[in-house]
Amino acid sequence: MSGQTLPPAIETVALRKTFGPIHAVGGVDIALAPGRIYGLIGPNGSGKTTLIRLLVGLARATSGEARVLGTRMPSRPLLSRVGYMTQSDGIYPELSVWENLRFFAGLYGRADRARLLAALALVELDDRRGTPALELSGGMRRRLSLACALVHEPTVVFLDEPTVGIDPALRVQFWAHFRRLTGGGATLLVASHVMDEADRCDELLFIRDGRVLARGSADELRRRAGTDRLEDAFLHFAGVTGAAAAS
Amino acid sequence: MSARRLWSITRRIIDGFRRDHRTLALIFIVPVAVTALLGWVLRDQQIAPTRVAIVDLDVAAGGRLASAISDAAMGAGLTVVDDGIVDQVTARAALADDRIDAALVVPSGFVADLLAGGSPRLRLITQGANAIAEGGHVAGLQRAVSRAILSLAPGGPRGEIGIERETVFGTPDADVLDVMAPVFIGYFAYFFVFVLTGISFLRERVGGTLERLLATPVTKPEIVLGYSLGFGIFATFEVVILIVFSLMRLEVPAIGPLPAFVVGLDVPTAGSPLLAFLIALLLALGAVNLGIFLSTFARTELQILQFIPIVIVPQGLLAGIFWPVETLPDVLQPIARLLPLTYAVDGLRDVMIRGYDLGAGSVQLDIAVLATIAAFFVALAAGTIRREVA
Ligand SMILES: Nc1ncnc2c1ncn2[C@@H]1O[C@H](COP(=O)(O)OP(=O)(O)OP(=O)(O)O)[C@@H](O)[C@H]1O
Ligand SMILES: [Mg+2]
Repeated sequence: MSGQTLPPAIETVALRKTFGPIHAVGGVDIALAPGRIYGLIGPNGSGKTTLIRLLVGLARATSGEARVLGTRMPSRPLLSRVGYMTQSDGIYPELSVWENLRFFAGLYGRADRARLLAALALVELDDRRGTPALELSGGMRRRLSLACALVHEPTVVFLDEPTVGIDPALRVQFWAHFRRLTGGGATLLVASHVMDEADRCDELLFIRDGRVLARGSADELRRRAGTDRLEDAFLHFAGVTGAAAAS
Repeated sequence: MSARRLWSITRRIIDGFRRDHRTLALIFIVPVAVTALLGWVLRDQQIAPTRVAIVDLDVAAGGRLASAISDAAMGAGLTVVDDGIVDQVTARAALADDRIDAALVVPSGFVADLLAGGSPRLRLITQGANAIAEGGHVAGLQRAVSRAILSLAPGGPRGEIGIERETVFGTPDADVLDVMAPVFIGYFAYFFVFVLTGISFLRERVGGTLERLLATPVTKPEIVLGYSLGFGIFATFEVVILIVFSLMRLEVPAIGPLPAFVVGLDVPTAGSPLLAFLIALLLALGAVNLGIFLSTFARTELQILQFIPIVIVPQGLLAGIFWPVETLPDVLQPIARLLPLTYAVDGLRDVMIRGYDLGAGSVQLDIAVLATIAAFFVALAAGTIRREVA
């Protein structure tokens, strides 16, 4: 319970972002304590990516505030402590696995060999070091993208659907690694619409139409919705009539 | 500004091209091949030697320029004809009778004006009958005049030397066939660097890597400078290869059934290749950043190519490559004077053909303008990179 007294790693105050008539993020207030894995769960177009981009400082809020580690975003210096795995791979297809990793590590000034090797080992691409990213399989590219986001050992990590296209065995390893990161004090916000992954998070944020519908651990949300399936819990909080039929 | 981040960006551009052999060939081999072809075509057009009369009215200088031109003419495929031509009237008569191809009139006080840093003008009278042959005559004469002026004013004149054109029969034709090689150095550097950076940066924007790049502590100047350095290195090699190719002459002897041939254009340059190199590099720096800037307005690689007729072709037509800027219609002249290529073409011609150095006023102007334009494009490019995209 001492977690509640720590200052939040991620915080938003009445955060909004509109694109013309679309309220991509429509007034979000959250304060997330450090050292935990948070799942941002919502359907396509619910505003997950936009919320993360606001937190990383890649989008300017229409109104409200986004804070990471107490610093109001956008803030360039803070970015050295932030990791961001984008929804698209965001790697250079013409560069090799090693060159991609070295490039991103270099931007953080942390391109030493040992660190690069460790990052490659994590995503099991050590034997593909010289392969151009273009020649990797889709899942391997995703793995490389994750390595690039974690290579500088960030304190706050935003992962936008990190395990899409990753095989089940590696997925288990990924989550084990995420858990290790929180052991070192890191905070992770993982966007996903895969419910079976949601169970691995410490806490979930259900989001739809740019609003947080509910927040709590998976068990808690299931109990509150009176169902034993997370999908149904989501529909329950979204107020969809179908939820009643399902329960 | 962190040197480490800067180097990361530069290196990633080099890494990206290293494996792309086709693009490397495009940068390094194609310009040489095209320049060689052009040199070949132009050289073979010079059929007959030019018969020229020199009317030196600069009595005060004691015929110094006339004798300097005569000396230079020997090496430039020109025959100096005397034939009783003493003034403009006899010169015109000789032109009309086709006893000479061109008459060069040196006005009185020319040499004194030249040495005082003024901008004196020569007058060149031609027949005006055959535009193509005329171009060849004029090109040869210009070369001889340049060398003569250089021998009187080492390092190049401080003012602009003008040549007024006049013909006996028709309207004066543009002096087209000035040696093309130095001009192509500038043009290729500009063209390839623009297209390559444009596409490369577009891919950053649409491929999601720019988003990722901006999620790191990298700064805008680091991105722009990193790109300029990365592509600058390729532009540097390209320019070096083209300059060497233009200047060298390597005679390959006949081997078996192959006839003997010559590699290189053997352009008779007097100027410093280093200075030519500086001019081409400033031009390329501008092109890198123009590419970054314009990539904002494209969504696909094909749309970058659509900028070629807008950005590259008009520059090719207006920048003085094929005809001098002064002969353009009045409306187009101010436009031509805004184009970086205009100054690069002029500067490269000054240095490589006329042999001017940094002391020459026109070279100083060219370099100053190119540097200004490059700085302007850098600012434009930096302006299009925004951390908060939307
Ligand atoms: N740059 C943009 N311009 C205009 N509209 C945008 C932009 N980015 C996002 N939107 C809109 O904002 C809303 C939320 O988009 P967002 O990408 O945040 O959803 P998401 O939850 O990440 O969806 P997905 O699961 O498909 O990734 C959508 O309606 C989308 O169309
Ligand atoms: Mg998304």
